[in-house]
Amino acid sequence: MAKWSFKSAGLTFTAANAGAAIGSASTYMALKGGSTTQVIDLLEVSISGKATASTVAALELARASTLETTPTALAAPHSAGPMHPATAALAAPPVPFVAAATQPTPSNVVTDAKLNLAMNLFGGIYRWNASPTQQWTIVGNTAPGGESVLWNNLLAGGSSGLADAHFEYEPF
Amino acid sequence: MKKEGEVMIDHRASPGIPADMAEKFGFHPDQVKEGALFEAATMTCWHCGRVVIRNPLRERARPHCYQCNQYICDICDGVRRQPDYVHRPWKAVVDLVQSGKFTMAGTSVNPVLIPRKED
Repeated sequence: MAKWSFKSAGLTFTAANAGAAIGSASTYMALKGGSTTQVIDLLEVSISGKATASTVAALELARASTLETTPTALAAPHSAGPMHPATAALAAPPVPFVAAATQPTPSNVVTDAKLNLAMNLFGGIYRWNASPTQQWTIVGNTAPGGESVLWNNLLAGGSSGLADAHFEYEPF
Repeated sequence: MKKEGEVMIDHRASPGIPADMAEKFGFHPDQVKEGALFEAATMTCWHCGRVVIRNPLRERARPHCYQCNQYICDICDGVRRQPDYVHRPWKAVVDLVQSGKFTMAGTSVNPVLIPRKED
């Protein structure tokens, strides 16, 4: 399958509590499977801090323990699309979003997978790449395996700040 | 084939993370201080799919599953010692959900596979 890129621009990653629905839209990035059987391999996460003063953000990639309701279709300046221009349309494309009627709940379960992306958003850059077979996998479209969220964890001491970020992923 | 991903945290043009917070996040303060460039390998747990930043300062042995012949994380290492443990790698869970016959609940460490009703 083809690789896709989901890019957010100018989001303020507002620190929020784990285990509760994120309070505000446009403060996180989330990616959900397009069908009950879709598998998405998340291959890269990159964050570029844009804060204008020192801001330590406890960014995390976490599974959603409760999914959002009614995700809002992406609008500029955010984007999501295939990285090869000749990519065929998918019958059930993955669902990237930064807003929804009710925001997703990042898991606070100790044994749920999370990826630590803590950084200073004042000039900091974070990039994680998976090697083949070592990717972060999203499977189906139900909690907790079917959706993952990049967000700022208040309980871990995160402060809110501005950043651009992208996911590179491959749906199957 | 290379089995490790990589992480890069670049604070060369940033004040970095203060020492007390760095320790909370699991870093050595020198790794993420002002002006630091931290690069490390990452490994993915074969049982739960968790991505682990390989701590270059770790001295304890890393768990290994001899059934999968792959790395597993510390949490899955504990879970597999429980009496009711069923060995089911993350790839097997993914395959079962992708088959359309199951949905997954629980957590990735303790997945609960629920048979789907026939449409």
